[in-house]
Amino acid sequence: MNLITFLQDNYAQTLFLTWEHIWMVSLSLLIAMAIGIPAGIVITKNKVLAQKVLGGANVIMTVPSIALFGLMLPILAVIGHGLGKVPAVIALVLYSLLPIIRNTYIAIKNVDPALVDAGRGMGMSKFQLLREVEIPLAVPVILAGLKTAAVMNIGIAAIAAYVGAGGLGVFIQQGIARSHETMILAGALAVSLLAIIVDLAMSTLERLVTPKGLKL
Amino acid sequence: MIEYESVTKIYGAGSKAVTATNNVTFTIEDGESAVFLGPSGCGKTTMLRMTNRLESITRGTIKVNGEDIMSMNPQQLRLGMGYVIQQIGLFPNKTIAENIAVVPRMLRWDKARIKARIDEMLNLVNLDPGIYRDRYPVELSGGQQQRVGVARGLAANPSILLMDEPFGAIDPINRDQIQDEFLRLQGKLKKTIAFVSHDIHEAIKMADKIAIFKDGLLVQYDTPEAILMRPANKFVSDFVGADRALKVLGLLRIRDAMNPAPKNLLQANEEAPQALRMMEERRLPFAFVIRNSKPIGYITPKNLKYEQGRVGELAEKFPETLGTREPVRDALAAMLMHDLSALPVIDDNGDLAGAISYRNIQKSILELYTEDQDD
Repeated sequence: MNLITFLQDNYAQTLFLTWEHIWMVSLSLLIAMAIGIPAGIVITKNKVLAQKVLGGANVIMTVPSIALFGLMLPILAVIGHGLGKVPAVIALVLYSLLPIIRNTYIAIKNVDPALVDAGRGMGMSKFQLLREVEIPLAVPVILAGLKTAAVMNIGIAAIAAYVGAGGLGVFIQQGIARSHETMILAGALAVSLLAIIVDLAMSTLERLVTPKGLKL
Repeated sequence: MIEYESVTKIYGAGSKAVTATNNVTFTIEDGESAVFLGPSGCGKTTMLRMTNRLESITRGTIKVNGEDIMSMNPQQLRLGMGYVIQQIGLFPNKTIAENIAVVPRMLRWDKARIKARIDEMLNLVNLDPGIYRDRYPVELSGGQQQRVGVARGLAANPSILLMDEPFGAIDPINRDQIQDEFLRLQGKLKKTIAFVSHDIHEAIKMADKIAIFKDGLLVQYDTPEAILMRPANKFVSDFVGADRALKVLGLLRIRDAMNPAPKNLLQANEEAPQALRMMEERRLPFAFVIRNSKPIGYITPKNLKYEQGRVGELAEKFPETLGTREPVRDALAAMLMHDLSALPVIDDNGDLAGAISYRNIQKSILELYTEDQDD
């Protein structure tokens, strides 16, 4: 088959692009986590702020990725990074924020009020309550948000090939430009496979970190 | 000791302001259980939640062991009080042992002490530590979970325990049992307890003092007996129910109503003819038969007539024996059920402690009423 021959002939490039793809998605996910989880926790304590933050993240989600790259181009061009990995990672971070913040917020908000009352009544500080009760109980839902973000970002990262970010989108973009069907198929299949694998891996992780007392 | 002085709580402001508690003053003495009782919305829960500052106080002061709670750090205040709630609120991500260890850990007890304390607490609430220590809350029944809830509240040995309808979500059979267990515990531990309830039966059973609230006002604060016999107004008498005289029967202990030295006793080794003569002389309709100071049955002149044996062989067995600590209600129920006008009462060794009859019960109720009029 053409596809197998194509992958055999280009296995070094395939591996490299896959690696690039994973690298972009992981880096952006890490950054988004570092921003989104604390933000999600902080906004549980302030309703007005919660509405603004969640609303803002929602707006970002509605901007099509290709338009976002276009918008960032003139701005990032000022520091000489209008094209390449920088706009790609920034876009991926922005898109990840909504599922991560929203899931963190909902998870913490959904902790049974009786548990919060019991914890406070026994003398726990807000921080102790978060660390001992709210966060452990929220972890499965927070991870589900991370999973959504990761799978979504694998798709968006493919589009980032158009701003020269590399990754498996390169096969798709070049395949379209050259009318090379096998190349398009190879890129599309690789991206899909990656998304499925990440989804399975994250689901496994979700099960592993769920507190034992919640699984019984 | 918990002292409430003119405690007022107002939610909201302006025209939307709602007064939850209005100028409430009373004191819970050391080692006493006070049950806050009233219909929903009467302010009883707010009262409890102000005690550990889960709710702020609008006016007035609450003192715990002589210290104004507003001058204390809220977390420190709460660490010194056990807190048990209706929803139980065991942390599902922690094992039973970890749940019990929450407050001791915050108080920085050392590990060995916490470990020993966990087992001690589980034994205290009748749960085998070997079986339950490492289980998770979801693996326990509601009743077992609330036993752990009580153990958790008592873990750091606080002198004060706040309980917000702790047994309200437990099925009636288990509730009765866990109430009994808790009473037994309280008999040993002598904590100062503030206990919210909407159930008059629970209040009568658990309370040294009952505080009855209505629309944020403290209507009456007194012993269960006084509340039943001498309700302050129509609201209280309606709330305790038209059958309050019957409720008193549940409150009175047999030892307080019984005749401690009944005269109609016969020794089991006495001969029937002599016994019959004695009963006829003294016109006894029946007599208790005693062997080695334990009651073995009762006998009537009819049983003895034309008989030659010893009284012990002719006696009819009692269908039921009563302990001194059982409520008079149980004695009355047994007497009605078995159609007997008197029953023996035994002490913890099974020896005869006295006898109880319809007349004894009637007399003790009358005495309670007469006491009322003296005040």
